Amino acid sequence: MSALLRAELLKLRSTRTALGMGIAAALVTVLPAILLIAFLPKGTIAGDEARTILIAGSGLVTYILLVFGILGMTGEYRHGTITYTYLATPRRGRVMVVKLVVYALVGCLAMLLALLLANLIGVIGLPIRGVSFPALDGAALADYARQIVTAGLITAFGVALGALFRAQVVTVAGTLIWALMVEPLIVAFKPHIGAWLPFNVFSQVISLQIGADGGAAEGLSRPAAFLVSIGYIAVFSVAAVFISMRRDVT
Amino acid sequence: MAVIEAEHLSKRFGKKVLAVDDVSFSVEPGTITGFLGPNGAGKTTTLRMIVDLVRPSGGAVRVLGSRYRDLARPTTRVGALLDASGFHPGRSGANALRVVAAGAGISYDRVDAALEMVELGGAARRAVKGYSTGMKQRLALAAALLGDPEVLILDEPANGLDPEGIRWLRTFLRARAAEGRTVLVSSHVLAEVEQTVDDILIISKGKLLAQGPISELTRSAQPVVRVRSPQAEKLEELLAARGAAVNRLGDALAVRGPASAEVGEVAQSGGVVLHELLTEQPSLEELFLQIAGTRKEA
Repeated sequence: MSALLRAELLKLRSTRTALGMGIAAALVTVLPAILLIAFLPKGTIAGDEARTILIAGSGLVTYILLVFGILGMTGEYRHGTITYTYLATPRRGRVMVVKLVVYALVGCLAMLLALLLANLIGVIGLPIRGVSFPALDGAALADYARQIVTAGLITAFGVALGALFRAQVVTVAGTLIWALMVEPLIVAFKPHIGAWLPFNVFSQVISLQIGADGGAAEGLSRPAAFLVSIGYIAVFSVAAVFISMRRDVT
Repeated sequence: MAVIEAEHLSKRFGKKVLAVDDVSFSVEPGTITGFLGPNGAGKTTTLRMIVDLVRPSGGAVRVLGSRYRDLARPTTRVGALLDASGFHPGRSGANALRVVAAGAGISYDRVDAALEMVELGGAARRAVKGYSTGMKQRLALAAALLGDPEVLILDEPANGLDPEGIRWLRTFLRARAAEGRTVLVSSHVLAEVEQTVDDILIISKGKLLAQGPISELTRSAQPVVRVRSPQAEKLEELLAARGAAVNRLGDALAVRGPASAEVGEVAQSGGVVLHELLTEQPSLEELFLQIAGTRKEA
């Protein structure tokens, strides 16, 4: 397992994909935070509102991580490196498990860095506008923890999707169309169905808008949303491992 | 004990394509075995079944006495060149091999050694997307050599190599065999491997047509009588009338069937002048055509 871990980490370090994704994640974190702090009226960036504004870009970070996961797996098929991966480790289940875990951890780490960056912008930017930086209380830390964990799950979800569908462009485009267009339409017209769909479930886990009672009007309770999201990851990951073990590499 | 042993190996893709059909063969230790056949014959599928990249529909294949997936650290026992384009274009040659080495638990020290072995040391830091086809082929060969394996499985290793590269490959393979290693090398260009291999496996349309030492197979094959004559057309007619298979190109004839003495007598009785008359053992290509032709007729 340690050899596989080393190989996965080297794969990430030795191409520009991870670096490019990291830069994109930093930009979508920093730019909205700076613009909102700079241009919103002072009254709307004070207190609890400040926290929402600072992490305005984190939703986009999760989509970048989703694409990152898809690229991590489909890239193996696109460039043919899967042949060498499986020659070195013919036990394909191990390859898939390590890849899912590594990408989940990288997703968590990326979101942690994005949140640190967003808060750094707040620490510097809010006092410039004459607004004090809000205290990081338990609720804020819980929100951040949920975002970090969900980012890891979504990145692994991307890996599983990549393993299932293989074709890079089709998988990236299809997933984004589903997540950004199809699901929102279903949620709008059939909310009782939409509440159970994967990307809506992920967003319910990390949503800051859910009331103190832990539930939303048309959604699942936060614990239920978390359990359903774990279920999605488990089902897709098991399917990805199973299919990868049986698939011919031609 | 055979190094590679395939028993009744079959592979079907979908319902219609039978890529490999009940193929059985063995590869002996310390030999270079040529796995020969035209494009689409089933060579690549068979090689991929040996290293567990493709699941057989029937039969079994063992390498070094086990299934590939059951070998401990398999790339240190069996090196495979199956896909010369199987490297990320953005990685340097050295990093592409380091990724393979890391996954296989092989020391990074072997990366430099393998690159030097295939004479790519100078291009180690360049991105693979800047490599020529021949360089990618050498890089793939270096990947196969990373674990210093006792068995090499090479799928069309001469693809993209220039004549100098092909000569280098021949010498390289011979050197590996001299070290006691076993090489199974596929090719659709028969002349390319003729001077290199000890044994051959001939496959066509998924079926194994022949196997054995190349010297024995060529000896058992029908010799070819080569004739040059200013009256080649007339001689062709005379020989064809006696049931010989004749191919004519200008003033040269290649005759299969009668011995050279008989060809000479036919020419003499027909008043045909000969400028050249000699018997040749068939080339590998001619042997393949004979075997494939015989099976077709059968």
